[in-house]
This record gives sequence, structure tokens and C-alpha cells, in this order.
Amino acid sequence: MATATTGVPVNFDRIEKSFGPVRVLEELSLSIEPGEFLVLLGASGSGKTTALRILAGLETASAGRVLIGDREVTNILPKYRDVSMVFQSYALYPHKTVAENIGFPLKVRKIPVAEREAAVKEAAAQVQIDMLLDRYPRQLSGGQRQRVALARAMVRRPSVFLMDEPLSNLDAKLRGHMRAELKHMQSTLGTTTLYVTHDQIEAMTLAHRVAILEKGVLQQLDTPAKIYNDPANLFVAQFIGSPPMNVVQGTLSGTAFQTGGAKIATAVSGKVDKAILGFRPEDCSVVAPGKGSIKGEIYTTELIGDHTLVTVQTGRDKLTVKAPKDFSGKQGENIGVALSKEHLFVFDAVSGARIR
Amino acid sequence: MSDARLKFDESRRSLMERLFEARAIGEMSPVARVVAYGMLIFWSAFVIFPIYWVVITAFKDAAAVNQGPFYIPFVDFEPNLDAWRIHFLTDPYCDGYAIARQFGLLIHNVFAFILSPFVAIEPMEPQICRVYLAFSNSMVIGMASTALCVAIGSMAAYALARVTYKPKFGNIVVFVALALAVILATSYAGIPWYVSAAVGLALFFLLARSLGKRFTATLGNNDILFWIISQRILPPIVVIIPVYIMFQAVGLLDTHLGLIIIYAVANLPIVVWLMHDFFASLPIELEESAQLDGSTRFGIFWEIVLPLTRPGLAATTLLTLILNWNEYLFAVFLSTSKAQTMPIMVAAKNAGEKGVLWWEMCAIIVVMIIPVIFMAIILQRFIAKGVLLGAVKG
Repeated sequence: MATATTGVPVNFDRIEKSFGPVRVLEELSLSIEPGEFLVLLGASGSGKTTALRILAGLETASAGRVLIGDREVTNILPKYRDVSMVFQSYALYPHKTVAENIGFPLKVRKIPVAEREAAVKEAAAQVQIDMLLDRYPRQLSGGQRQRVALARAMVRRPSVFLMDEPLSNLDAKLRGHMRAELKHMQSTLGTTTLYVTHDQIEAMTLAHRVAILEKGVLQQLDTPAKIYNDPANLFVAQFIGSPPMNVVQGTLSGTAFQTGGAKIATAVSGKVDKAILGFRPEDCSVVAPGKGSIKGEIYTTELIGDHTLVTVQTGRDKLTVKAPKDFSGKQGENIGVALSKEHLFVFDAVSGARIR
Repeated sequence: MSDARLKFDESRRSLMERLFEARAIGEMSPVARVVAYGMLIFWSAFVIFPIYWVVITAFKDAAAVNQGPFYIPFVDFEPNLDAWRIHFLTDPYCDGYAIARQFGLLIHNVFAFILSPFVAIEPMEPQICRVYLAFSNSMVIGMASTALCVAIGSMAAYALARVTYKPKFGNIVVFVALALAVILATSYAGIPWYVSAAVGLALFFLLARSLGKRFTATLGNNDILFWIISQRILPPIVVIIPVYIMFQAVGLLDTHLGLIIIYAVANLPIVVWLMHDFFASLPIELEESAQLDGSTRFGIFWEIVLPLTRPGLAATTLLTLILNWNEYLFAVFLSTSKAQTMPIMVAAKNAGEKGVLWWEMCAIIVVMIIPVIFMAIILQRFIAKGVLLGAVKG
């Protein structure tokens, strides 16, 4: 294994990007610590890939600056940025063998053949494809192609790794496996990494910090745990978590949240006419009808394995409650949902801002 | 509505349904099968018979042609080699020495042409029988113009597929107006052409930088592509007279170089158009990846793009070669003897004093067909499928 190199910091300084009249990024400022694994998380169209491509130099920013280390790279060609990228589609050169693919960045740098071959072997060994060096990409499985793309990205020891949804073309089992390898590899090499994904599980498991983007605006930048336990706004709260956070519409007056006939005590206080109460499926429980703060009837139940997900119909909302795996309620039965005060989030329904 | 009316019943099909309905997706109904194969057989007969007729006519003599029609050799008529003797034996300079000399002449004349700015080397005069001359002319002109055309055309097509061009419409109008002014000044005011051209260019850059900023209407890649293709929509006969006069002025009439240039220019639109589609359909990630890996734009074109578009390149080359090989109109106007190509020689047999010499004409046509078959076989090996397999699919 290579020794850990000290990474370089990366800074987005008020980056803006428009495609014609469409604004894709609005004043994105983001600083990535040296050696950090930062995940840009967002739905499709959130601007996350555009941000990555601006750092790669494949797209030019409409305004703002990009810094790698203390060098401004906003307007220089990709090849002078010392970054390497793993594409969602892998982008392997189909007419070159695995060894030629991995060695290509060294070949264009005119590294002597002997040195190049040694570096290719080392990179290939690192991702365990050293027995495939003479094959062509078409002869490889999806996971093997993924490893070739990774080896090609790390063979020249760039200052920054860029990854554009590299795992999304793999099947679920392999994805979990590669996730672990990727994390191990990144922390071994210590290379600053910007990773783009729409998959919150990838974001939560891989990242040192997660940046959540929506409609070109940075919503929250924090560690995975903080993002989950302390979401900055309604968007983040609903985006993170599977199944997603339950939301109930109502009004907040004082510390009491009122919805339908129910009155729920919260830990916050304020006066908001249109408020939203949020709580995660694991922070509530099903109780006998008439008990608990919210009443409803069972819409459907799903046995997941170690627990059961109960969907409860209450007036116009459907709530998901995590129940024990031996839960035996039937569709249509009346039921109550109990909440715990310290696990409630209140948001302004209009702005989406968290009320604290 | 009863349930029965909503369902199809396979066992109760009528005779018509049995005849007109295919048994499975991907198969044809019995009637369609008869019609389709019937049409295919008719078409095949239609295209094969003329070739058969040409081949047997090449082995007939005057009597067998004029007393005909005779269809089957050895039965209707005795095949003989009269036509072949005329082309390959009766003509002077049909021996091995003449052929070797012709090869030497081609190399000598190329060097003479390249070195002409520095040393005056007298080009050699051809001394070879007509069928060999026409054949070697066709070969040289066809291959050289194809190479030139495919090289320039594919680079232009790649640029149009990958680089965004935004020429301002106003600037183009200014350029055309200034070009007109330069021509008028040169031909009527008696100003030397290099003076007026230099002034015109200087004025254009000045205007484009100052006035050009106010123009807003821009053209895009598709407009440029259409402009290029439109050159092929134009029938060549329209431009042949001006081209003749231009060639006369610069001494390109009846030269290999002249025909090479005009063939390359005429086929450039086809190459650009075909190759543009091949380049545009390449996944752009490959080129982006190569760019990040540190490759230059020309390096990407040479090492990534061209190998991956090899089937398209081969198909385009083959098409251009065949178009050049068969070209008649430009050749008939722009070549008289030294640069005469095969199609001209074929047509010349139509205008003899003794009427149409069908057997002689057909012998040349047979000679003309053979290289095309070889080219198709050789290039077809490159038109393999599946080059892109493994590039981007997961």
C-alpha cells in the first residue's frame, strides 16, 4: 500500500453557473479540507454534477473562483489542474487493454515504459485487478470495469479525486462491497475527494462531511450524523432518512402544535400559522387506539426483517411508523401513534426553515 | 359487453386472417413472405443481368454482337478475346517495361511537382497504352483525392461535432461585402490583387472588432454543417464552367493534381456529413476522461476518437473511393488525354467512327469493376461491429 499523502484543500468561492436562462448554481461556496472525503448529495437537477464538472474544468463557471490548494484554477484547462475523475459510465477506452487504460495518463505524460508498467501494476494490485491487465473492457464485469476506472484515476497520484456517481451502475450487493473498498482506499491514500451522488446511503456511509444541494443552493454542510440528527431545514429533513421523515401540517402556538383535533407538545415555542411537524419513523411507536398523540387507521404493513413498517392513515396524511417485527395489526384497524417530545422537529411550512 | 367479445380466439380465425397474419413477432405472414421474396428476386435479376451481359459481351466479337442477341456463351456464340487483344496487345506500349516506366513516371512527377518551387525538373511524358494509362490515372486520382478528402473532412466533422462555433451573421455579411469590393477594385480599378486583398482583410478585422460587437444574430454549428452539405445538393454541372476557367488560369487542366483537388472538394460535404454523425454518437465521457488524463485535443482525436470511429471511417472511405472511381462529369471537362480516367475511356468507345464498339467498351468496364470489388472486400473487414462495446455501459 502506498503511504498516505497529505491532501490539498479545495475551495469553491461564490461559484455561479447558468445555462442560458437556467441558473444551475447560485453562489456556491464550499471548502473541502485537505484529505477530506466530501460528498455532494442532491436530487437530479440539483447542480451537484455541474459543481463537480466545474472543479474538473469540463465546465466553466459563470462567476466565482475555484481554488485547488492555494492555486486559482477557475479558467485553466483540466489537464493542468492535477485532478482525476471516475465517471458514472467509467469511460474506459474500449480499444485499449486494461493495462493501457490504466497507463494512459502516464503515457501522455511521457513516463518511461518501465516506470509506467510498475505504476500500472501497483495501481492494479491496489484494486485487485492485476490478473486482468491483458483483457479489454468488454471482457470485464461491471465491478471490474469500476476498478479499472479507479486504478486509472489513482495511478498518477492526483491532488484531488473527483467521482461522479461511480457506484450507481453496479448491482446492490457489489455497490455495498465497493463502498467499503472506496472508503478504505481514500483514507489510505489521504487524497482530497469530492464525490457526487443522489444516494443518501452512499453519502452517509462514505463522507467525512456531506453537502446537500437543492436547485443550485447549498442547504446544509455537515457531518452525516449532524445532518441526520439536526437537519437545517425541511428539505434536508425529508431528503435524508429511509423511509423519509413523517410530516404533519398544522399550526404552532406557544409550545403546542395543533393538527386536526390533536394537540402535541413540542420542545420549541413560537407562533406560526402554517407549520410542519416532522418526526422520523423510528422516533414514534404504534400504541392501542385512543392512546398516543395521533390517531388513525392502518393503511398497510410491510415486514422488512428486523422490524415492520406500519403506514398509518390520519386524516389527509400518511405516517410511517417503525414497529417490532412481530407487529400483528391488520389493514383498516384503528390505531394510535405515540411521539416523544425530544425527537420532534418543527418547520415553517412556507420557508421550510427549522424553528428552534 | 360480454366477455367473449373482448377476447381474441385463435381457433376461429378466418382464411384471410390465416393468410395475412404472421405466426410470431419477427416473422412474416404467408402472403407477405411471397410478396417480399418475389420483390427481392425481381430486384436481384434487375441488377445482376446487366453485369452478366457486360461480362459476356466483353468476350464477343463484332459478329456476335451485331447478329445477336446471344445470351449463353459456348451455346449461342463462341467467346473470344478480340476486345482484350485490342486493349492489351494491339496498342503500343502495353508491355511490362511500359508499366514499370509508368510507375517511375508517377514518382518522378510527384517529386518534380514538390520540388518545383526550388528546382525546375522536367516532368516525364506518359508513354503507355491507353487502358493502362486510364487505369493508373483512375487509381492515383481516386486514392489521392480520397485520402485528402477523408483527412480534411473527418477533422472538420470532428470540430463541428465537438467545438461550439458562434460566428456572427453580421460579420459574415461584412466579409462577403469586402470580398466583393476587393474583386471589383482588382478588376476595374486596376489595383494589384495583393494590395486590395491586404486592405480588405485589414478592414475586415477592424470592422469585426468594432462594429462586430453590435451584431447579435449568430450562426451555430448546425448552420455551418448545412452550409457544407448544401454544396453537395448543388448539381456539379452548375459549377463546372467556372471551375474550368479557374483551372485554365492556374494550369491545372488535364493534370492529376487538378482532378485530385476537384474530387476532394466535391466529396468533402459527404465525408463531413457522414463522419459528423459518427463523431457525435461517440460518448463524450471518453473524450472528457482523456482530457482529464492530460491528452491534447489532437491526441484525443488521434488516439481515442479515430480508433473508435474506424468502422465509420472505413465506410466513408469506401463510399468516397467508389464515387471518385466512377466520377465522369468533372473528368470529361477537366481532362483531355494525360489525366484521362477509366469512365472517360469507357464513354469514348461510344463515339467511334465505326459506331459503338460494345465488346471493347465491355472489356474496359470489366477491368473497371474488379478494383471496386477488391476495395469493398478489403475495407469491409474494417467495418466490424461492436468497437464501442465496454466503453460506457455498466
